[in-house]
Amino acid sequence: MNRPAQKAFIVFLVVPSFLILAAVVFYPFVYNVVISLSNMNLRHIKDWSLVGLQQYYKVFFEPTQPNFYLVFLKTIIWTVVNVFFHVTLGVALALLLNQRDIKGRPLFRTLLILPWAIPQYIVALTWRGMFNYEYGSINLIITKYLNLPAVEWLKSPAEAFLACILTNVWLGFPFMMVIALGALQSIPHEFYEAANIDGASWWHKLRHITIPLLRPVMVPAITLGTVWTFNSLNIVWLVSNAGEPSDQTHILVSFVYKAAFNLYRYGYAAALSMVIFAILLVFSLYFMKKTRATEAAY
Amino acid sequence: MNATARKPYRVINTKSFLRRFFTYAVLILFAAIAVYPILQVVTVSLRPQDKLLSTSLQIIPENATLVNYVSLFRDRPFLLWLGNSTLVSLVVTMTGVLLAAMTGYAFSRFRFIGKKIGLLSLLTTQMFPATMLLLPLYIMLIKLGLINSYLGVIIIYTATALPFTIWTMKGYYDTIPYSLEEAARIDGCNQFEAFYKVVLPLAAPALVITALFSFMTAWSEYLVAAQILQDTHLWTLPLGLKSFESNMSTEWGLYGASSLIVTVPVVILFQALSRYLVSGLTLGSVKG
Amino acid sequence: MLNSLSSAAQVVRNLVLVTLLVLLAGCAKKADPHRIVIWHQMRVDDRLVLEDQIREFMAQHPGILVEQIYKETEELRSGFIVAAIAGQGPDLVYGPADQVGPFEVMGIIRPLEDLFTQAYIDSFIPEATCLYKSHLYQLADKLGNHLVLIYNKDLLPTPPETDVELLRVGKELTRDTNGDGKTDRYALTWNYTEPFFFIPFLTGFGGWVMTDDGTPTLDTPAMVEALKFIRDLRDRYHIIPGEADYNVADALFKDRMAAMIINGDWSWAGYKKAGINFGVAPLPRITSTGIWPAPMVAPRGYSININVAGEKLPLIVELLKFLMRPDIQLRTAKALWSMPTRREAAESEFVRSDPVLRNSALQISRGRLMPMVPELRAVWDAMRPSYQAVLGGATTPERAAKAMQELAIRKIREMNE
Repeated sequence: MNRPAQKAFIVFLVVPSFLILAAVVFYPFVYNVVISLSNMNLRHIKDWSLVGLQQYYKVFFEPTQPNFYLVFLKTIIWTVVNVFFHVTLGVALALLLNQRDIKGRPLFRTLLILPWAIPQYIVALTWRGMFNYEYGSINLIITKYLNLPAVEWLKSPAEAFLACILTNVWLGFPFMMVIALGALQSIPHEFYEAANIDGASWWHKLRHITIPLLRPVMVPAITLGTVWTFNSLNIVWLVSNAGEPSDQTHILVSFVYKAAFNLYRYGYAAALSMVIFAILLVFSLYFMKKTRATEAAY
Repeated sequence: MNATARKPYRVINTKSFLRRFFTYAVLILFAAIAVYPILQVVTVSLRPQDKLLSTSLQIIPENATLVNYVSLFRDRPFLLWLGNSTLVSLVVTMTGVLLAAMTGYAFSRFRFIGKKIGLLSLLTTQMFPATMLLLPLYIMLIKLGLINSYLGVIIIYTATALPFTIWTMKGYYDTIPYSLEEAARIDGCNQFEAFYKVVLPLAAPALVITALFSFMTAWSEYLVAAQILQDTHLWTLPLGLKSFESNMSTEWGLYGASSLIVTVPVVILFQALSRYLVSGLTLGSVKG
Repeated sequence: MLNSLSSAAQVVRNLVLVTLLVLLAGCAKKADPHRIVIWHQMRVDDRLVLEDQIREFMAQHPGILVEQIYKETEELRSGFIVAAIAGQGPDLVYGPADQVGPFEVMGIIRPLEDLFTQAYIDSFIPEATCLYKSHLYQLADKLGNHLVLIYNKDLLPTPPETDVELLRVGKELTRDTNGDGKTDRYALTWNYTEPFFFIPFLTGFGGWVMTDDGTPTLDTPAMVEALKFIRDLRDRYHIIPGEADYNVADALFKDRMAAMIINGDWSWAGYKKAGINFGVAPLPRITSTGIWPAPMVAPRGYSININVAGEKLPLIVELLKFLMRPDIQLRTAKALWSMPTRREAAESEFVRSDPVLRNSALQISRGRLMPMVPELRAVWDAMRPSYQAVLGGATTPERAAKAMQELAIRKIREMNE
């Protein structure tokens, strides 16, 4: 293909997507940057004015309950633990489902995808109900079948956080499983056949064939999964009933949400959002560099 | 059947038996874990009295009734919401697949100025907490006259799904050797034909993921739809479901029933597409 | 799957056609001078009643179209704010009185007193036409939102009238009904997570949340006493469950695992539907202070969006006058057990004789109006963590009261900066 035709082809392929993205994302982003430098809140909602970096100062130095840095730490823990389990469980289940001699695979696939398919609101509240100290199924199973003492899930900060994590892991592994299933199809069978002839163990095959060749497709999912999990408001909000106990169960986004929508502090919330954005940007740049995700695999 | 044919079978049997046993055990365990909370939702939908929780652990409650399901279709415009959501989601899926397939290909095959920045910018669009984008989005849509129309919603949903889908398509294309297209070109195809005749079919699993993801984005999205679609006859399923919610008087029976029904099309779509997801269209067969 | 595509161009063409179709299907309605849009947060039963009344109104006024759209309370608040600031939004917004404060500060609702005669306004009970900053911003059609003591008549024929009686019947009612060693039936339950449900206890010991100008008054002996009281109900007298949010408390009462529940007027219809033989009673008096607990009482009503064109106002006034007619209000009261706001309806035979409404009216008379100032929100946010911490055993009532007060002052300052 000659150069001008190739250039035209590239433009044809790329520009429509980016046009839409620019329109939908660019303006709100700029708007938020501006608001983060303003004093928009209850008293200044139509007549806000620019006030410089005041809101950012508040984000970093104003004592809040809970403490910003603690919430930041919690968010990191939240993200790492969730993504780790999503990916390991998802890939493991995909590998198990990829074996030809297992019967009933369509049924298993369908059942395992249900957590992703069902609307989150009711299922998150159902999980919250399952964590109830006296009546929830989780404690009933723990006390009856495992003979362990019941856990006060929703009353203690650490346990409440754990409850949110468990719910989110349950919700998130099907997605990674589907991606992994798809990614597994891209691995040519000859690699495995050759390894079998060489007498390789399943661990060896996993480490040296499967995982490296899953990477091109899994890396986008993991990167985006991390960003999404970092910013996922719903589950933490619903399972902990907006931060219980005592506003301790928060990640950065739920913290932002409370600031903005409970007390109308839009300028502050915008600044906090920009800080979240910066954190994620730094992480992604670092992660992408490490995995060389922008380059081709072969 | 001679005796020698049976011997090796027996030796391999134990190892493969263990493997299969382990596989079934894990799959059954996880399937049970996946399904249990959903069964609770079934219970909620069968209760006549709008109760989310219960002190009893029964799956089929006392006085189980289907009245919620009947009421859903008879007393609420559920079919209307279903139709609206289907329309919007299908359009988003088609545009999403089309755009992602094309753009991902460009990012995979070509080197061009701004490629790296382009990919990075895709990622950055996801980093902003969505709730903060609502007010500016609303103002922008009012100015463009897109409030209360599906066009605005479709555009936003497509944009929301694009970063992930483009990137996934690119990643998948990256695993397909360029040599295949070269072979096709030698056989007389131009670049575009090589793309959709040779590469695209091989990328079917990724297309399935793209389709599912785009569909789910449109099917289950609430915030944007709530802000844009003001007329009740335009409501999509998430808005309809939300109307059952009330600060302290949620109609749990209807909510449970509708949540389950809403899951069905997703499952159907997944079933229909899974063939292509695990088709095992391996590259080995093409290479020869 | 893709092999059936004959060419990308054909796909694109189809896509464009479908999109145009969809566009046309979802076209925006232009602002219509004869179309009134109401946004509200009414629960289902209230909605149906409103729908009927609107239909009647439209039948009597052909040419006017009235639409009502439900939004969940928080959604309604933020959705209306966003829409109104952008110059759009519904014509009428319906909700509890505490939405008036923030809306007024943001300048998104308009005063109403110039649209009605003084005589008309005086025909309402005074609580329904509260002035805020010397203007009338909301015309209320229901008075209530108050907590009462709801009891299961099958388990408890007569409700307790004092806290001492409550403890006595409580001990009898709380028991292990299935012999597994764990208490599974409790005398009383309520939503422990929302400070709103704590207010009756606070007022029973003589406390209140703020002064008239919005300064919080949370660090008081009354607060400490009230917190101690509920903690004792659980840890000393054991008549309430260990953990209960709204759904748990509701489930317990509906499962007959709680003899009494403290809940509001929105929940009665649900208990009737669940087949509970329930009764409504005022909350029991606190003997040590001699005070009847005063739950917060709030009117619910309509406010007008500031963006509404002047020509539409007479139509809106017509609609409001219709909905506020005493006979219409009585119909609503009969269907929903709501307390009407026109004097004629509120003093009618029906309201005075119906057992539920009679007790509800008694409780309202002992209640206290919910403040309308925006600061209330900050106070709730300040109370919530400490209140939950006391019930969770993480702090003492004295420390909690101090923490609440400090946090409230800080949050109010942050909100008003």
